[in-house]
Amino acid sequence: MIIRGGIVYDPANGIFGEEIDLCIDRGRIVEDAKGEEIDAHDLLVMAGGVDAHSHIAGAKVNAGRIMRPDDARLGMEQATAVCRPSTGYTVPNCYAIGYRYAHLGYTTAFEAATPILESRHTHEELEEIPIIDKGALTLFGSNWEVMQCVRENDLKKLAAYVAWGLRASKGYGVKIVNPGGGEAWGFGANVKGIYDPVPNFDVTPAEIMKSLAQVNESLRLPHSIHVHFNNLGKPGNYTTAIESLDLFKDIKPSRMRQVVHVAHMQFSAYGGTSWKDFKSEAPAIADYFNKNHFCTMDIGQILFGSATTMTADAPLEYGNAHLLHTKWSNHDIELEESSGVVPLVYLRKNPVNAIQWAIGMELALLTKDPWNVILTTDHPNGSPFVNYPEVVSLLMSKVKRQEELSNIHELASKRTTLTGIEREMDWCDIAIMTRAAPAKILGLEDKGHLGVGADADVAVYDLRPEEVDPSTQHDLVKKALAVAKYTIKGGVLASRDGEIMAAPVGRTFWVDASVAKEDEERMMEDLKEKFDRYYSIKLSNYMVQDAYVPNPVVIKAGALPVEEVAP
Amino acid sequence: MRTITLRPLRAFEVSVEAETISPSRFASLTLGQIRTQEVFMGNWKMKLADLFKVEGDEPLATPEETTIVLEGDFSKVKRIGEGMGAGTLEVRGNVGMRAGSGMKGGLMMIRGNADDWLGREMSGGKIVVEENAGNYIGSGYRGEKYGMRGGEIEIGGSAGAYLGEHMCAGTIRVKGDTGDFPGAVNQGGTIFIGGDTYLPGAEMTKGSIMVRGKATMLPSYQKAEVVTLEGIQYQKYVGDLVENGKGELYVATNSA
Ligand SMILES: [Zn+2]
Repeated sequence: MIIRGGIVYDPANGIFGEEIDLCIDRGRIVEDAKGEEIDAHDLLVMAGGVDAHSHIAGAKVNAGRIMRPDDARLGMEQATAVCRPSTGYTVPNCYAIGYRYAHLGYTTAFEAATPILESRHTHEELEEIPIIDKGALTLFGSNWEVMQCVRENDLKKLAAYVAWGLRASKGYGVKIVNPGGGEAWGFGANVKGIYDPVPNFDVTPAEIMKSLAQVNESLRLPHSIHVHFNNLGKPGNYTTAIESLDLFKDIKPSRMRQVVHVAHMQFSAYGGTSWKDFKSEAPAIADYFNKNHFCTMDIGQILFGSATTMTADAPLEYGNAHLLHTKWSNHDIELEESSGVVPLVYLRKNPVNAIQWAIGMELALLTKDPWNVILTTDHPNGSPFVNYPEVVSLLMSKVKRQEELSNIHELASKRTTLTGIEREMDWCDIAIMTRAAPAKILGLEDKGHLGVGADADVAVYDLRPEEVDPSTQHDLVKKALAVAKYTIKGGVLASRDGEIMAAPVGRTFWVDASVAKEDEERMMEDLKEKFDRYYSIKLSNYMVQDAYVPNPVVIKAGALPVEEVAP
Repeated sequence: MRTITLRPLRAFEVSVEAETISPSRFASLTLGQIRTQEVFMGNWKMKLADLFKVEGDEPLATPEETTIVLEGDFSKVKRIGEGMGAGTLEVRGNVGMRAGSGMKGGLMMIRGNADDWLGREMSGGKIVVEENAGNYIGSGYRGEKYGMRGGEIEIGGSAGAYLGEHMCAGTIRVKGDTGDFPGAVNQGGTIFIGGDTYLPGAEMTKGSIMVRGKATMLPSYQKAEVVTLEGIQYQKYVGDLVENGKGELYVATNSA
């Protein structure tokens, strides 16, 4: 296949809007190819989008579906010759997730949080999501064995557990959500800061985070630790964010990437002491990211309208449900986590929501290097992913931002710096934020770019970058990005002008990390006791079997001698 | 006035979804076009004429001037009159689930029984049921916070559980008894129950419910004064206090 004449933005390979023919053979970008030709003359061409943080599969997504039949009815689409039926808006069914990412020109998405115990369910759903490639990050932040290893200061045993946990869950990386808080919630409590000890474990969130970061690097995992900070969603929490980030300053990365990725930074960039004097501290956070390059973030933009919040931060969801007086699902995951789900609506005239909206924009625009800040809405916490084109068009147009600012609560202008921000992103920034950087941050070498050997995941948009001025014609940008002209996944034309042409089966990435045998044996002794005494299921039933991941891409990692790790 | 009559060609074993049967939709269609309207029986896509005999006046009319008469057993036919805005729909028999849901105007006369979810989320118009009605009459869709927003429902017999759940406005009158929890999570509107009921007004915040027969009360209602309405004495209650509610509940004193 040859994609002819497109204006290609491939920042990872130093290509910034050049007319290039792309050749595809057997699912890869190659030097030369024959066969079917796709006419992309003068149109915007980028690598397939990569979503590094999205909630698309697993028990909490399904809890959202179960408690929101009202949401299911918002996205009903009948089956076609190619497609199975779709439902839902904030919590779409599995099929709709695949089709809708393909319509956006996205070809990869990672589920951001799965407890090991629920992973079989997560993979059952991932398998049913058509077209896109995917993976899942495994939760370790409130896990008994993790906390025991941290308490014993036995990082080798911890590494053995993380490696085993990734294998048990067929997971891709280490996710930490409100470290220690998930355990405290088992007693109706929460941890209040990173030095507040976890009940019954005598370890602090700071120790959990730092130990997991060290182990992540000793195992040379492709992705860094991926953290949802303590005190998320609370006024004044930016100090917790900065305190937490400081923990990782001295940790050496084992690969060419960050040592910590911060999930949905918007929810952790809050000033003030209560909802009354709530304000943005995004400039302080952006300043930190401009000065330090060991960390990356995704913005977690909120958009006005319906959302379904879902997180392993169960005490946060308890707070949401009581504050908003709405439906609430709460879940205890034995020795590993807790979680919650609460539907909500973000309102333009609500001062807190208006400020939250502006904070996301500030973070993206004030962080100078787009490689350090990627686009997410923390789907479906801030907004469903189908609204990414809205976020892009806002980032590219000051005019559009000002229009929105004049429609929303005035405190968004007073308690944030957004009004004064002139920056308008260009297509290069957008290509980085939506494909190149998320792929790099996740450590997916063949994604997010269009160099020879890369996966043949390509998006062609019905927009002429040399004619359209995104600053004033932001409506054209939004329209074009919402429905890709062509989405090619692994060399197959999957979507064309909003119609699914083919629904190829996607692959699932997971990481198999090796550790020293004696460390694993010590760790297994701990685990046996935990399964005998506490777990509701047997160790022999715990691991996700290979049959649940029928199209795997296994990335090998593991502890190697120090000399081989040094850059 | 244009009248169109539909008769089932057979007894349905599998439910039929026929939201197209509505004066608002038929008004601008010829009989030929009406016969080819799409309906689902289970997951089979079919034409209206595959399932029903369609007869009536040929000349087109406005929705207001259009009457649809359904003769026979429609108890397995769902979504009749969905979203109708004007005209008359007369069912000479029983009607299936979700009749008149989202109705905005016009009149639906049901000479027999109505099934569950009648008038779900309706905002205008009038529905009359001569016999009994099922559960969730005038309520919201599953999971929604807002039910009936306007219009009237009259039931000649009794109704099932969760009558007017999440109701925001409009009126429901039931001549006989109702099942459990009428007016649950009400935010407005008026419900009149001629017979007995069980636990009315749970989590109601606004609106009013009158019970002419016996009512088993929730403990979270506060007794207010005794009032006389249309010559009958009612004990007034205010609640539901669980929700800090200002709903008004009237229960006839002679029934207690
Ligand atoms: Zn998330």
